[in-house]
Amino acid sequence: MGKAPKHNDKFLRGDKNSIAEKHKEYLGMEMPSDYFAKSKLSILDKVRTEQVEPPKKETKVRYMNVRLQYMVAASVVFLLFFNLWLFNFNGNTTDDSYDLLMTSENVLINSLLLEDDEVDGYTNELLINEIVIKAELSEQKLDNFFMNSLFVEDSLLDNYTDDKFIETIIL
Amino acid sequence: MKKDQALVAKLKNPKLKDAAFAELLDLYQERLYWHIRKLVITHENADDVLQNTFVRIYRSIEKFQEKSSLHTWMYRIAYNESMRFIEKNKRFQFDNLEDATLNHFQILQEDSYYSGDEIQAKLHRIIQGFTEKQRKVFQMKYFDDLSFREISELLNVSESTLKSSYYAAVKIIEKKILE
Repeated sequence: MGKAPKHNDKFLRGDKNSIAEKHKEYLGMEMPSDYFAKSKLSILDKVRTEQVEPPKKETKVRYMNVRLQYMVAASVVFLLFFNLWLFNFNGNTTDDSYDLLMTSENVLINSLLLEDDEVDGYTNELLINEIVIKAELSEQKLDNFFMNSLFVEDSLLDNYTDDKFIETIIL
Repeated sequence: MKKDQALVAKLKNPKLKDAAFAELLDLYQERLYWHIRKLVITHENADDVLQNTFVRIYRSIEKFQEKSSLHTWMYRIAYNESMRFIEKNKRFQFDNLEDATLNHFQILQEDSYYSGDEIQAKLHRIIQGFTEKQRKVFQMKYFDDLSFREISELLNVSESTLKSSYYAAVKIIEKKILE
């Protein structure tokens, strides 16, 4: 603290030519001897390494402008509805083709005009409707008949079977 | 100026680039080092930032459009690199001028390449007390030997404003240093 400043009288007179001298004299900042020669080699070394391994290109994030965003959103919505409509339209076509198959007498000939998938779909539906459900219904009828017969008197049952018998034979 | 233009032409030529870059280092390394050193305070920090600055210069020399002088263009890169370093380094964060000055001294005194005495510490304190613009003008003119034209280009301030700001700063220093 008591040290007398040796440069007090010539402060800021600009009599220091070298930048390093100015920084040392007025700011007390120094650097290692031979620093710039070493630093130069180190920088050149770094740069050479850069040449061997070129810097990775920065990923550019591109933002769409608002107008374009609206257009893209509208297109997506349109495509969504178009697909939905197309799906329904195709669904109807399939139903129509089923009708064609069902209403037509000559299923085999009509089936030649339709896609295999549609014919498969029709036959599956037919199998379920005509065979499985009908078989189920007739079985249920038989069960009902058997159950009723337990509660109805024999004479009435005989009449019923006779009637049925007559109906079946005569008609 | 013409010498700089020739150097830039060589730097933009892939065959001559490396030799020209070594020449560029000889010419500007020291000036940029001192500019960086005053911003990041210690020698170690300045060394890091100086290396990054020159690597950036090497990478982007092709983009230099020569609208400003080579020196001011590099000076700006060095300043930006220093600011990037300061933003990353928590030791440089502070809330007010008083803390900033205290912080500056703490970092300065930890540096093994600082040998300041009382009067040098006083000068540091006076410069830290300047407004940011006045500090920049004073340091660029007095310590970095930039011309008023170059400073005007860097700070986007008219030369006459810079001159009055600089001479006001010199007056303050002369007055305070003798107190």
